Amino acid sequence: MKILGISAHYHDSAAALVVDGVPVCAVQEERLSRRKNDATFPAGAIEWCLDRAGVDAVDLDAVVFYERSMLKLDRILTSALRAFPRSWRSFPNAIKNSLGEKVWVRGIISSYLGVPRSRILFTDHHIAHAAAAFFTAPTRRAAMLKADGVGEWATLTAGRGERRDDGTADITLHREIRFPHSLGMLYSTFTAYLGFAVNEDEYKVMGLAAYGRPTMIDRVRRLIQRTPDGGFVLVPEYFEYQTTASRSFSSKFVDLFGPARQAYDPIELETDEGRRFADCAASVQRVLEDTLVDIARALHEETGLADLCFSGGVALNGVANARILAESGFERVFVPPAPGDAGCALGAALYADRIYFHNADRDVPDHPFWGPPVDSAELARAAREDGHDIEELDETALIEQIADDLAAGRIVGWMDGASEFGPRALGHRSILAAPHSREMRDRLNRDIKNREEFRPFAPVTPAGTADRYFELPSGGARLARFMSGVFAVRPEWQSELAAVTHVDGTARLQALEHDMAPRLHTLLEAYGRRSGIPVLLNTSFNVAGEPIVNRAVEGYSTFRRCGIDVLVADRTVVRKHASPPARPLKERVP
Amino acid sequence: MRPIHKWVWGDFDRRVRKLLLFAEVETDGGRDILRAAELTSDPLLRRLYLEHAIDELHHGDLFRQRGSALLRTRSTHDRTLFNGSPLPGGHGLDDLHVENEPDHRLLAFLHVAEKAAADRFAIYRDVVDDDPPTRAIFEEILRDEVFHMNYTYTQLARMSPRSYKRQVWRARASRLWKRYLRAAAGVAGLLGAVSLTVVYFVVLPPFAWLARRAERRERDGWIPISRDRRDSPTSQY
Repeated sequence: MKILGISAHYHDSAAALVVDGVPVCAVQEERLSRRKNDATFPAGAIEWCLDRAGVDAVDLDAVVFYERSMLKLDRILTSALRAFPRSWRSFPNAIKNSLGEKVWVRGIISSYLGVPRSRILFTDHHIAHAAAAFFTAPTRRAAMLKADGVGEWATLTAGRGERRDDGTADITLHREIRFPHSLGMLYSTFTAYLGFAVNEDEYKVMGLAAYGRPTMIDRVRRLIQRTPDGGFVLVPEYFEYQTTASRSFSSKFVDLFGPARQAYDPIELETDEGRRFADCAASVQRVLEDTLVDIARALHEETGLADLCFSGGVALNGVANARILAESGFERVFVPPAPGDAGCALGAALYADRIYFHNADRDVPDHPFWGPPVDSAELARAAREDGHDIEELDETALIEQIADDLAAGRIVGWMDGASEFGPRALGHRSILAAPHSREMRDRLNRDIKNREEFRPFAPVTPAGTADRYFELPSGGARLARFMSGVFAVRPEWQSELAAVTHVDGTARLQALEHDMAPRLHTLLEAYGRRSGIPVLLNTSFNVAGEPIVNRAVEGYSTFRRCGIDVLVADRTVVRKHASPPARPLKERVP
Repeated sequence: MRPIHKWVWGDFDRRVRKLLLFAEVETDGGRDILRAAELTSDPLLRRLYLEHAIDELHHGDLFRQRGSALLRTRSTHDRTLFNGSPLPGGHGLDDLHVENEPDHRLLAFLHVAEKAAADRFAIYRDVVDDDPPTRAIFEEILRDEVFHMNYTYTQLARMSPRSYKRQVWRARASRLWKRYLRAAAGVAGLLGAVSLTVVYFVVLPPFAWLARRAERRERDGWIPISRDRRDSPTSQY
């Protein structure tokens, strides 16, 4: 049975193809269109998935969209009506937006793919999140917690999933918290207030939080109040996202926290203003963590289960994830590699397979590499045409040479096999560097990533040795499999791992199993033999504002214009010229 | 037009907003040209596109840095320049889909766009003579634009020796057509917004009253999910 899952029209549109119960491929549209957070209908991703699997669209048994678009329109209309007459400015835009394309999704899919409308199915948004987490996790039964900004109406859902002995599986979401009460929107409101881009820069708030003290917790708690049943409500007068798309927070919010940061102002942490913003970030971060831990703990007590599947955009918050693991009572927390809306494409397809079509549950390979493979010949051709020396190395020579490069302080652009599905570079589209000095961190920030100083870089290390350098609680290695948790760097190693140790002594670790990315695992071991520490800095292979590279030529063009020293695509290696060409191209070409 | 530009650039907030908007447009344009570099099969064009893209990205940085520097001197920090959340946007090359354009058409388009940008930036340079750092940025960019205009034209002539002039005229016409489409879409959007606003105030009040009444009956906190909701795979509701 061939089922295509689609997510689109909000952010991170994607497509995923499941054949006979197992994912074959999945990719975000942004990786192909090269437009970050591309939310358009994922025509490129669909086309690539079908090509990759050799499937004709007409042979698809079902196409599953990741949410119920009319239910979403219902929420938008109802919110506008409830905010009458304050919503008069946003109403025309909201309606034009919805009626323009979003509510006609069945017709769009049908006409684009040429499949009958009866084969186009829908899932609830949070069910798609739940399926993406549960059906890809190696667990028999687990509690479910899904938290994001908003889907149709739900912003937080709780339930359970189970694989039965007869081969069937089920996911049931028992309860939900509804818009406008939303942990994701609370965090996004602070993201906007702190001058960052909503739905994109939430991780900057998390990074900034480490520089502050949670001195404003009481103020944040005036925005979010717990209910006797263990849920919460947001106090509406502090927010405007429910009435307008152009502003998230109200004047009353500004009265409470002070003037908002301008998007282009630098955050100077040595100033009072900079510290206020950092304290603000630390406070909302702490409240988010406390609320999630509390809800997860109650869910653990209620279900008595050892495992938790946690997904939705909020599950990208690695600090909160680590606290849930440490404090809620769950022994293992599974966060999928694409916990956000992109992952819903895969979740929707898996849900349709197991639940709508009652197919037997199948084990899903436990890795994130469902995207397009890298073509090293493409790199070799482009680099050769530009006069670069190309090296085609055997496996052993490649590993030894790149380990030497890393030990010598060179920065390596690393492309290996299929690209990751999800926002993290987990070893197939990564920039790798030695993790030992702050100078390396500053060099990466300055010459490659062009990003704020306060943002940390992540380490990758073999899972077998992770505990030596990082304080991993029981279940920590699992959470670190897809870089989903932030853990303390052991104090004795912090100075040796200065480039990846955040200001609060933590790191967003990837604990790598050999089977998941064998080549990178071998490289880590080879690097460990040289430096004594098998840890590398692993950051996504992109520059600020661009999607992670997908094809070899994209890696090559990034390599050409930033401070990466060595570029690797499978076993093809290109190095920067020791000296630049004699005359710039501008002078040589009329 | 020069007095109008002088008036536009004379206002501090508008100047900052313009600079930051240019930053986004130049950066987006740079990314489009970068994409062209990744897609072209012509090695020389790839190198030139890459050089061009690096210039555009650098221009974006220059505008961003200058806009930010001016922003820091702004006294009225109590209200935000972009009303809180959204950053100024706008896609660089007229929402060009580089993937769909053959090299000769892209070169013609770039040539015309660069020429238009150079003309505009020359005016802006002249009207910001009270602000030497901003003026210096326009001067630097104008130097780059000369290279961009030249290489796009010579490469177009190389790629399409028989029809390069026609390609340029076609690009000009296409630019005009896109401008018309944008204006038409703007007018249509405005009419739509007016109609929907009328609907909002005339038709919606009773429904708004009902919606608010229903809201009061909703419970706070957790709400149970009905078991049968997921049993409707074909429903969009």
